[in-house]
Amino acid sequence: MTVTPIDAARLLDACSAGIVLFGVLIAGTRSIGRAIWLVAVQAILLSAAVAGVGLATGSSHVVFGSLLTIAGRGLAVPLILGRILRQSPVRVERNPYLGPRASLVAAIVIVFVSAIAMDGATLGGSIGGSLGGSIGASVDAPRALPAAVAEVLTGLLVAMTRRKGLSIVVGLLVFENGLALVAFSLTYGMPFVVELGATFDLLMVTVAVGVYAQRMLTVFGSLSTDQLRNLRG
Amino acid sequence: MNELAIAILLLGPGLGGLLAWRLRGRAVELVAFGTLIASGAAGLGLASEALGGNRIVALGNVASIDALGGYVLGLTVVVAWLAMWASPRYIRHELAAGAIRPRDEGRYYALFLWFVATLMIVPLVDNLGLLWVAIEATTVVSALLVGINRSPDAIEAAWKYLILGTIGVGFALLATLLAYASSVRVLGESSDALNWTRLIAIAPQLNPNFLRLSFVFALAGYGTKVALAPFHTWLPDAHSQAPSPVSALLSGVSLIAALYALIRFHLVAAAGLGPGFSSTLLVAFGLLSMAVALPFMVRQEDLKRLLAYSSVEHMGLLAMGIGFGGPLALLGVALHIGLHAVTKATLFLSAGELVQRYGSRRLSAIRGTLQAAPAAGGALGAGIVLLGGLPPSGIFVTEFAIVIGGVGRGFGLAAGIAAVLLASCFVALAVHGSRIVWGHSGPLETVRRTGSGMALRLAGPLVVVAVVGMWTPGPLVTALDSIRAVLGATGA
Repeated sequence: MTVTPIDAARLLDACSAGIVLFGVLIAGTRSIGRAIWLVAVQAILLSAAVAGVGLATGSSHVVFGSLLTIAGRGLAVPLILGRILRQSPVRVERNPYLGPRASLVAAIVIVFVSAIAMDGATLGGSIGGSLGGSIGASVDAPRALPAAVAEVLTGLLVAMTRRKGLSIVVGLLVFENGLALVAFSLTYGMPFVVELGATFDLLMVTVAVGVYAQRMLTVFGSLSTDQLRNLRG
Repeated sequence: MNELAIAILLLGPGLGGLLAWRLRGRAVELVAFGTLIASGAAGLGLASEALGGNRIVALGNVASIDALGGYVLGLTVVVAWLAMWASPRYIRHELAAGAIRPRDEGRYYALFLWFVATLMIVPLVDNLGLLWVAIEATTVVSALLVGINRSPDAIEAAWKYLILGTIGVGFALLATLLAYASSVRVLGESSDALNWTRLIAIAPQLNPNFLRLSFVFALAGYGTKVALAPFHTWLPDAHSQAPSPVSALLSGVSLIAALYALIRFHLVAAAGLGPGFSSTLLVAFGLLSMAVALPFMVRQEDLKRLLAYSSVEHMGLLAMGIGFGGPLALLGVALHIGLHAVTKATLFLSAGELVQRYGSRRLSAIRGTLQAAPAAGGALGAGIVLLGGLPPSGIFVTEFAIVIGGVGRGFGLAAGIAAVLLASCFVALAVHGSRIVWGHSGPLETVRRTGSGMALRLAGPLVVVAVVGMWTPGPLVTALDSIRAVLGATGA
């Protein structure tokens, strides 16, 4: 399969736009089930963009990285979360600290602010030139940086303003997708061993979340973090 | 030879954990003790070689252990041994009380071994990316240990620890990425470009904007795991709710592992940007941590939370000392890391014994321990005096060195405030401590025999801490000097 650098750049633009759009949708939904599959689609778009650049530049470690992303973030993690959700009696975010409409607006503001801030930052200017080597010359990955920063912030927004354990974890995953996109746009991803370790860690975090979600269901009868306010001082 | 030692070090607890998962009773204790003794022996071998001043490079250039790494590795082994030694007594009591389900006994030991294994990876790796992977792994494994008894409070603590820890460590990943981005132009896209040994060597060529941002994110990210204020809020929950031997590991060495990662970023930043930037931030956040811990220690009602907040105080002191720099403060930091680790671990082990004996963690309920539980109560009292830094404790010497070193480096105001905070924290600890030790004990929930093993493992570390305050043996002086040299290597 041949992918030209121009195709790869277009794919990267389209995918990062999609990632941002899905991030906004996640911030604006009450349904936890929908949020889980939206975050999975984000991961799939991420890996598509990575694969495009990998193929265009012929660097195998980038392609492997994208396969890892789709297997870990796109499939395994959402499947585990979906399983937990099916056991939970409540599947919508009832009383978030910030309602879905307000979150939607906040997420859109974040996108604009990130776009403007990253455009003006001196960082933006220096990275383009800082990447020498085989890849840097052909596809301009730093163009995805504003989208990446927007996702990191949207993820934090979702994680901090939700009450249900699973919604918080979805926020965490948006945050992690943003980090992965930052990694990609700054340096075309991490060295492969590090990517492998990071994906494994993310899986372990999800498993641990699953374990505690189970216990919360048994002990409290719900996944709401409202019960978690006993420890003070 | 070194490869073999590293293999035993990591595969021992790794495989031991797999074996332990389904076992119970004597069998699981034997497996856990056996693998940890073998692994620890390998670890101490590596540590002593590295502490002698020889950097160990192994497995290609994946592993690189200098004196600081050897020190962290050695401390991990010592504290892990102490905590493992105390585990059977603790766990059997929890099982008898129904606080832990029988099938969780094997899982406790398995997770314990894996936690130790992940902690031991941290000082070995040269690559900042793998360092991040190891730190994240310690979070996940220890979060599973924190909530192993399924009480609502333990679940709450573990959940908060897991979520806040993951977000915090996410920022550390950002720091790692920025470090990589700053070096990739110079070193090219190889995994070498993330090795701290290489980064320090080429630091002046690194992109200063990236390097500055990288340190800020490292401070927020690994600072969360070190529990520097204002990122410390998970610590009192997690360290107080965990089974006490795990609390000993968490407060004794897991904080130090994260501090080790932060130090590596500090050294790279200091080499690239000059020492001013990262040092000032470390001093500021260190001082803030000490100030934040004090009121919570004064008004504390829970024994284990009291000790947990004291860890926030001491991590603040260490961050500040590293920020001060200079031979005197760094020598203080080097010794303080070790003394705090063993003292705090011992305190958590004795607190665990007292909590089980009195059936409560409330300070108002634990009184008159000298009569009711002489070994654990005596160790708690002595430990608090030593931790507070009353002479002849070695901690008096190290705190004195850090404060005076700070004055000498032009941080007079910060050092002065720190001295007042240290004294106040000591008073807070001592007031609580004296009530615990001397007050009048009510009827106890359980009657337990004091084992000689328990007395030995509680008294031993405390005697060491007291003796080091008065007399430092030659090899220790050499070791501390090599550690100080690493900490001050880049003019920091």
